[in-house]
Amino acid sequence: MEFEMERFITALVDRSPPHALEHLQLVLIPLFIAFIIAFPVAVILTRQRFIKYTDRVMAFFSMGQTIPPLAVIAIFFPFLGLGRTPALFALTIYALLPIARNTLAGLKGVPRDVKEAARGMGMSEWEMLFRVEIPLSMPVVMAGVKISVVLTSGTAALGALVGGGGMGAVIFAGIDFFRAELIIAGTLIIAAIAIILDRLLSLIDNMLTPPHMKM
Amino acid sequence: MIGLLSGNSGWLANFYDQYLGFIAFIIRRWDQVVEYTLNHFSLVLTVMFFSLILWISVGLLISRYEKLANTAFGLGNILFVIPSISVFGIFITIPMLGLGRTSAALALILYAMMPMVRNVYRGIKSVEWPIIEAGRGMGMSARQILFQIQIPMAWPIIFAGIRVTVVMITGIATVATYIGERNLGRFIHHGIARESADMIIAGAILVSVIAILLDYLLGKIESRITSPGLLREQDHN
Amino acid sequence: MIRLDKVDKVFPGASAPAVDQVSFQVDEGNICVFVGPSGCGKTTILRMINRLVEPTGGDIYIKGQKVSDRGVNPDHLRRKIGYVIQQIGLMPHRTIEQNVALVPRLLKWPENKIMPRVKHLLEMVGLEPDEVSKKYPHQLSGGMMQRVGVARALAADPPIMLMDEPFGAVDPIVRGRLQDEFLRLQKEMKKTICFVTHDINEAIKMGDHIVIMNKGKLVQHGTPMEILSNPIDDFVKNLIGTDRETKLLELTKSEEMVTQTEEIPTEVSEKDCFIMAVDPVQRALEAMMKKDADIVGVKDGDKFIGTISWEDIKKHINRISGDEA
Repeated sequence: MEFEMERFITALVDRSPPHALEHLQLVLIPLFIAFIIAFPVAVILTRQRFIKYTDRVMAFFSMGQTIPPLAVIAIFFPFLGLGRTPALFALTIYALLPIARNTLAGLKGVPRDVKEAARGMGMSEWEMLFRVEIPLSMPVVMAGVKISVVLTSGTAALGALVGGGGMGAVIFAGIDFFRAELIIAGTLIIAAIAIILDRLLSLIDNMLTPPHMKM
Repeated sequence: MIGLLSGNSGWLANFYDQYLGFIAFIIRRWDQVVEYTLNHFSLVLTVMFFSLILWISVGLLISRYEKLANTAFGLGNILFVIPSISVFGIFITIPMLGLGRTSAALALILYAMMPMVRNVYRGIKSVEWPIIEAGRGMGMSARQILFQIQIPMAWPIIFAGIRVTVVMITGIATVATYIGERNLGRFIHHGIARESADMIIAGAILVSVIAILLDYLLGKIESRITSPGLLREQDHN
Repeated sequence: MIRLDKVDKVFPGASAPAVDQVSFQVDEGNICVFVGPSGCGKTTILRMINRLVEPTGGDIYIKGQKVSDRGVNPDHLRRKIGYVIQQIGLMPHRTIEQNVALVPRLLKWPENKIMPRVKHLLEMVGLEPDEVSKKYPHQLSGGMMQRVGVARALAADPPIMLMDEPFGAVDPIVRGRLQDEFLRLQKEMKKTICFVTHDINEAIKMGDHIVIMNKGKLVQHGTPMEILSNPIDDFVKNLIGTDRETKLLELTKSEEMVTQTEEIPTEVSEKDCFIMAVDPVQRALEAMMKKDADIVGVKDGDKFIGTISWEDIKKHINRISGDEA
């Protein structure tokens, strides 16, 4: 395989930006949707009434990661065809599990005595949820979101296969034409996106975490 | 009833058409299905064979030498930021490897590192101190402690890691078709290129079924191998 | 049997030694109790005897052999020393049977010797072998687990036992029972035992010999009687507590203090105020209070041997307390 520095720079500066933007969308949109699905569902599963459904629901979310993303996109092909929509769909399903699992773990990890004290003081279940349980589980939840971001970012490369655009297009071009510059440029940008998003999330995490839990 | 439904809604009829079409496809191309499935399994098995030997050893090593642990986990995390297709792509640029199985296998072994090493580490660390102290106090040698206490107690967590790894590798292996592997991912790959719904769906369903089956089987084994004395919550990641 | 000679331990990065020039001797068949506040070094000393911790200075001898020598294999050494810790440390993934049989298996005892031994040991510590052998640790209560811990340590019949707060993880009632049963066992086994505790009462009850530690240094050692009678400084006095005299009374047998007489005094027979010769003098006080008497009769079995009066007790305490009246 060949590698030329000039081509590499061109790939980085010229070809990448539009794809990078698409890629960003392929990461942020699924993540957002996955969050507003997985987070509330997981929270509900920790409520007394719904605990019995936990295994079944989590098994469902797990399927999102057991089935290869490529296959998920493919299965929905008759409905959604090729293009951005199936890609977003598949990536959203893929992003569900880490968020759900960590939210569950985070909420379960809230010390029993804290909840006991809150109830004793007269907090309603809702108040306790929003003022005590969710804030205290934030670090673990955010860790789950970060995992999802990294996984989605990497998987989004496959979006290009179904016409969804994204940096994957650059990488696949590199493979098809046997040009190392494209592969490496594409990889670096995807990695950069993942790392930047990860840092951003850490910042948000810091802001949302109650002071005593900051490490 | 199908007649009624398809009579009423063209879209629904289309749906059934698409979905049932893939069954015909699989029957038609049965030889290929078998070939690709076997390749898929052989790849996964090869990868798991080397991964088990390699990463369990590494995991045991870093659980003893903490300083290495940070490096190991750092490397693992970096890998996950790189999309699988890139890793495959980079491997084929290496002169000695090129297209084909070796590159695919090596890349997959690399991916297997994170879940395996992490679970071995966590598993070993999960053994509480008094038990090891008692073992030492009774005169067990370091090797005896490792094999009679630490590994048996860590095994459920380690096995959970193996299960996750197998499923993950099966999934990523589909992408390896882009660098020449001939496994079930190829149906998806070619299906997309030729816009053949049957092929895509056939590939997708076959891979999904195998992934779910493996996960299920390993899950069953996982619950069998836990000594009744260990009432632990296992991590699945 | 066990001898420590100017033993030191400085942990890396620590400013003060954990154990500082400690020397003493434990005689065969004795229970030697190490007692002191947290961090005084008592556990470290214990763990140096079986080389879980290596001394940084000094020597340790067992039966005349220097065990702190590099040449001695620590694993082999430990298989001949019983080790019981507070958190017990039973292997959760093995049955009780397998746990107790561990050291004999390490020593490669023949199987047909091991099983009966396990059964015998479980009975010795007050458990029903048929009930518990096949169970797993998590199915037992805290007290039962502690007994298994002791059984396990005794499995290979080691001449020496090291016990670190072995009865600490249970409630006081169970603890008292375990202590009594262990003392009974020791009467038969006559092992050489090093016992660590932070509870002075446990030390007095269990120990033939007590070693008091503070901040790594050996402050005082002697029999419980000696320590109670002559605490060497304020630290020891505080450790013992303000009820020193009462503790002394608990240790002294009535027969040691009795004034021998032939005739039973009127008051004694009227108020039916008797105690046994083997009872501690404490019992005499209690009897006096209950029967509202100043004097009790002492019997040895059925035979009346003498009396103890309130005056006798006062004099005895004054004598032993020394300068404290």
